[in-house]
Amino acid sequence: MKCDEMTLVLDELLDGGLDEASEAEAQAHLEECGVCAEAYRSLIDLRNGVEDLPRSIEPPRDLWPEIEAKIAAAKVARGRFGRRALMSAAAAVVLVTSVVTAYLVGRQQAVSTVVVAPVPPRAASEVLAASFAEIGVHDYEATRRELMNVLDGRRNELSPATMEVVSANLRLIDEAMSEIADALGKDPGNELLMRRLVSTYRQQVNLLERAAVLPREI
Amino acid sequence: MATASAVPAGPPMLRAVSSQTQPDQGRLAARAARGEVGAFEELYRLNAGRIYALCLRMSGNPSLAEEMVQETFVRAWQKVGSFRGASAFSTWLHRVAVNVVLGHQRTTDRRGARVTAPLDDAVPERTVPAAHPGETIDLERAIGGLPEGARTVFILHDVEGFRHHEISGLTGIAVGTSKAQLHRARKLLRKALKP
Repeated sequence: MKCDEMTLVLDELLDGGLDEASEAEAQAHLEECGVCAEAYRSLIDLRNGVEDLPRSIEPPRDLWPEIEAKIAAAKVARGRFGRRALMSAAAAVVLVTSVVTAYLVGRQQAVSTVVVAPVPPRAASEVLAASFAEIGVHDYEATRRELMNVLDGRRNELSPATMEVVSANLRLIDEAMSEIADALGKDPGNELLMRRLVSTYRQQVNLLERAAVLPREI
Repeated sequence: MATASAVPAGPPMLRAVSSQTQPDQGRLAARAARGEVGAFEELYRLNAGRIYALCLRMSGNPSLAEEMVQETFVRAWQKVGSFRGASAFSTWLHRVAVNVVLGHQRTTDRRGARVTAPLDDAVPERTVPAAHPGETIDLERAIGGLPEGARTVFILHDVEGFRHHEISGLTGIAVGTSKAQLHRARKLLRKALKP
């Protein structure tokens, strides 16, 4: 074996990656060549140095409280808005659709004889509570409060610009929710509105959940 | 005449993970998968130091390393239900951490914000883990000064004990590239540490 070939196999020799014959050949070369032997020794020194490096370095501060807060946010969102809840919501939307369709068909058939009294508008929060109840969500307000608290707890970690973006998005979502509530108050069970409600509701939860796990900026 | 033949060919350097520590992390993981935050906190306490060491060496930035540790554990919490115990929990967690770190690197690379300084010229200012004085700090500093690709492979292979095919799977580089980067890293380190 020549020195340039040896250079190519030094790493493999160190890592035990050579077959028996190649290893014997490399070892034979090391016995004869001081330059390659020195290079190999420096590799071994390096390996020994790496073995002496600390495997564990404690973080300068306890990171658990922040991790726990983020986990709590994710848990709240998952538990209440997870797959099961969304499937319930989807099932509810299908059910509402069917009821609405049946109602519309029935109304068309009876329109010549029945006068339908206009539905008086209801308060937005009442409409929202009733509409969420229809899709199987009974603690919308509590969940939103919890997520807002988690976000609030991150005010010292997120930059003002990020907080402003999150707040602006939340305002938009709140406005959309309010408009949907108004419309549902006048037209309860409207399939399209119910879909919009579910969609807006998911957007809100996603936004809060994402804000809760954004990397620390401050 | 050289005497290197007295030194046997070494085994692969440290494996990423030692055997399970007490208490049984697999059981804690199972409890965490059932939603027990307390069990997950125990897992955090048992593993935070090793995960922080990995993140700090890979990033060279204490604040970023803290973020990466947090992200690792949040992600681990979200995925702990998929942990089946085929490997030690700490091995599984290390993989989560490596993916978090590599994800950050990719994002940073895409933004073009990262500045890498080759070791050949000067060792850039990177934070060095300060647990051990003297030679260890020199080595930490030299590792921190490696170009990113070489540093990543060196830390994963020589410090954390991943094999080349595992590094290939984690980083997306070819096995041959991983070997070449390791060779380059070791060569640069030997040069940097030469008295």
